[in-house]
Amino acid sequence: MSAGLKYFLTRLGGSLITMLVGTLVVFFVMKAAPGDPALVVLGDFATPETIAQFNADRGLDAPLMVQYIDWLVGIIRFDFGTSLSVSAGEDIGSLLAFRLPNTVFIGLYAMTIAVTLSLVLGTLAATNRGNIVDTGATSLAVLGVSMPDFWFGYMLILGLSLGLGLFPSYGFIQPSESLLGALHSGFLPALAIAAPMAAVFTRTLRTALIENLDREHVMVAKSLGHSGRFRFLHHVFRNSVIPYIVVVGLQIRYLLGGVVIIERIFGVNGVGSLMVEAAFARDYFVVQACAVVFLAIVLGVNYVVDLICAALDPRRAR
Amino acid sequence: MTKTHKMNRRSILKSGAAATTLAMLPMWAGRAEAACGTLRAGITGYNVINTLDPAQMTLIPEAYVVWGMFNCLLKFDEDMNIVPDLAESYESVSPTVLRFKLREGVKFHDGEPMTSADVKFTLERLKDDATASPHQSKFAPISEIRTPDDLTVEIETSEPFAPMLSYLTNTRTGSQIVPMHLLKDGTPEDFATNPVGTGPFKLAEYQPGASLTLTAHTEYFEEGLPKVDTVEIPLIAEESAGVTALLGGSVDVTSTAPFADIPDLEQDDRVQVLKAPGANTRFVSLNNAVAPFDDVHFRRACSLAFDRQAMVDVVLFGEGRVASGIIPNSITWAATQEQPMEIGMNPEEALKELEMSKYGAGTDATVLTWGSGWWKRFAEVYVLQVNQVLGVNFKVEVSDSGTVYQRKQAGDFQASIWGWLGLIDPDEYAYEIYHTNGSRNYENYSNAKVDALLEEARRTVALDTRGALYREAEALAIKECPVLPCFESNVHNLLAPKVQGFVQRPYSGFGAQLAEVKDC
Repeated sequence: MSAGLKYFLTRLGGSLITMLVGTLVVFFVMKAAPGDPALVVLGDFATPETIAQFNADRGLDAPLMVQYIDWLVGIIRFDFGTSLSVSAGEDIGSLLAFRLPNTVFIGLYAMTIAVTLSLVLGTLAATNRGNIVDTGATSLAVLGVSMPDFWFGYMLILGLSLGLGLFPSYGFIQPSESLLGALHSGFLPALAIAAPMAAVFTRTLRTALIENLDREHVMVAKSLGHSGRFRFLHHVFRNSVIPYIVVVGLQIRYLLGGVVIIERIFGVNGVGSLMVEAAFARDYFVVQACAVVFLAIVLGVNYVVDLICAALDPRRAR
Repeated sequence: MTKTHKMNRRSILKSGAAATTLAMLPMWAGRAEAACGTLRAGITGYNVINTLDPAQMTLIPEAYVVWGMFNCLLKFDEDMNIVPDLAESYESVSPTVLRFKLREGVKFHDGEPMTSADVKFTLERLKDDATASPHQSKFAPISEIRTPDDLTVEIETSEPFAPMLSYLTNTRTGSQIVPMHLLKDGTPEDFATNPVGTGPFKLAEYQPGASLTLTAHTEYFEEGLPKVDTVEIPLIAEESAGVTALLGGSVDVTSTAPFADIPDLEQDDRVQVLKAPGANTRFVSLNNAVAPFDDVHFRRACSLAFDRQAMVDVVLFGEGRVASGIIPNSITWAATQEQPMEIGMNPEEALKELEMSKYGAGTDATVLTWGSGWWKRFAEVYVLQVNQVLGVNFKVEVSDSGTVYQRKQAGDFQASIWGWLGLIDPDEYAYEIYHTNGSRNYENYSNAKVDALLEEARRTVALDTRGALYREAEALAIKECPVLPCFESNVHNLLAPKVQGFVQRPYSGFGAQLAEVKDC
């Protein structure tokens, strides 16, 4: 087996174990938290008898470990079970199938905005070090990092939607229904999530570029008469892009955190808003399913980031 | 908007800024238009709907939808008078027998006629243990249901039971008439998500946790209703997002509005704010069985030591009124009219009561509450004032609402912030809270005289006599302060400027009211 393959198989195994531990933690934390799905479903009409009946009907009176293992066996068969208390009786797989494309779309949209913005701003800042362009770009980045995304989201609604009427203030058109509609109605939520990420990316890229601009091999390239553009792309940018991509990969966690709040503010029916609602309703299995999806996304993205980094710098996989 | 130019939520969103702006221009909202195509009515502040089967519904958003898809024998008008719905008329044949004459020609959404057999089936289904309905206890007094013909129903109770009329109205009662022909061999699994009723709207599409689409029931029995062809109901979890959705033109109606925003919204010409006193009660619940609230003088001191108007101002941003008892003022015929001395601030009297009690200044107690919003603020405002006036040492414990409810049921609390929303009969407030065996009596209060009056009220069908009995019972109970009634909050709906015809109900009506909406 080649070293590269072994490296990636080990990483895959590690990812699966991380997922398992993740679901275990989520499950037991949820169970340890006060509250009961029966109370959510039965509302004002809950009595000790109806609560007991509810739990018995859904196997919630079994020992915790049994419940967890039952659930896990289901997941391995791609059976997420049915919702307890956010959409009682509904198949969780179909809940996710409806919502996941929305979350993925908003996430990719936000990522595209953040990467585009940061590539431009980061490069401008690094190549104009010390002058007004750099100060401007760096200040924007500080502002971006300091703004809570939910606040920025409301500001965007206030300004661009209620003020100028450029974007809808609420609701999201599914990409399957209309791609243009999705791009239009998803712009504000994506921008709200993208802003803080763009700021982090910009600063990372600027620092990496500046570091590489001063390195000796760049000087050598300059002395050999390579053009500024060639030096920048081949010697500076390529080396700077590795830490940049690592940071982009790490920010996926942040992105998903942002999605959870932003989806609620903008009325995007995504996995994030489902998870929030399920957590409030103590719908253990829905929370679990969302956690698995999020974990899979985070681990998958990190996996891809590793692949890209290895491609850019083959020494990493050895 | 003209009739031929129907726009819905998606097309408005799709066509983007231009259409959104144009749609808000008055010239588009032509006056000549009598009906409108698609009404976008957002349920705000909630997005959990577990079932649309009336027998199983418990949550407010479930009821909001069920009310538009079903009818009951009776309903409430905006002044909380009971009026006929599926029944054409009703009479009290004897103290224990109610006779209903049904409307002719009522059809279910699937075209089948609704008859007395469906009514009998619905009520028996609610009573059946196998249904395990959370509403079962309301119908336990029914001993027999007779159907002399297709359009006549007689309901007999084992003893005179006046609240039955309220329980047969289209509110959170579960007595919405369901089709026997679909359910007689057991409730199909999909009835919860694909129900069939007689109401003005039928379900066209349901996206769990996200949205519902209702379409007009073309064979609806009330001439000219519903006035809209389609209702889109997005489920908007954040109340504040509902406000921006309405201001931005993404919805036409909301089911609620945040108290804090009301003063600003009332000044805003992009929105109509409807408000009315609500059928709800908010109080401090005291566990009369444990120290220090086992002492009537201590309880009275606690009731006299805080300013309820300050609570209305701080907690509700003025969007409510001080309670005069546990029965909300919107149920005018039974509510206590004059503000009792015990439900008001009187520091001198409070200190006198404290003097007489076996507990003094420095007494510790914990007041349970939940969340981070106004329920928490409610507890804080109470504790702050009582600590200041009486010199006691109360503190607030914040948990989640389910846990607080469980602890109340288990008797594991000293005091808690509590309230009931959307109950429509005084019996549900007074009897259930004050009576020794009341199902909402978590305070462990017991007074034989109060019990006797409440039992008599249950047996009294005549409204004015019955109301007087509640007032008498409540006057006695209030003197002993088992609970400390604080305030009643308003119900709100936000409407786009051109929407007309929506009439509020104190119990926060929604689905059924949408049938009357025109111009959207």
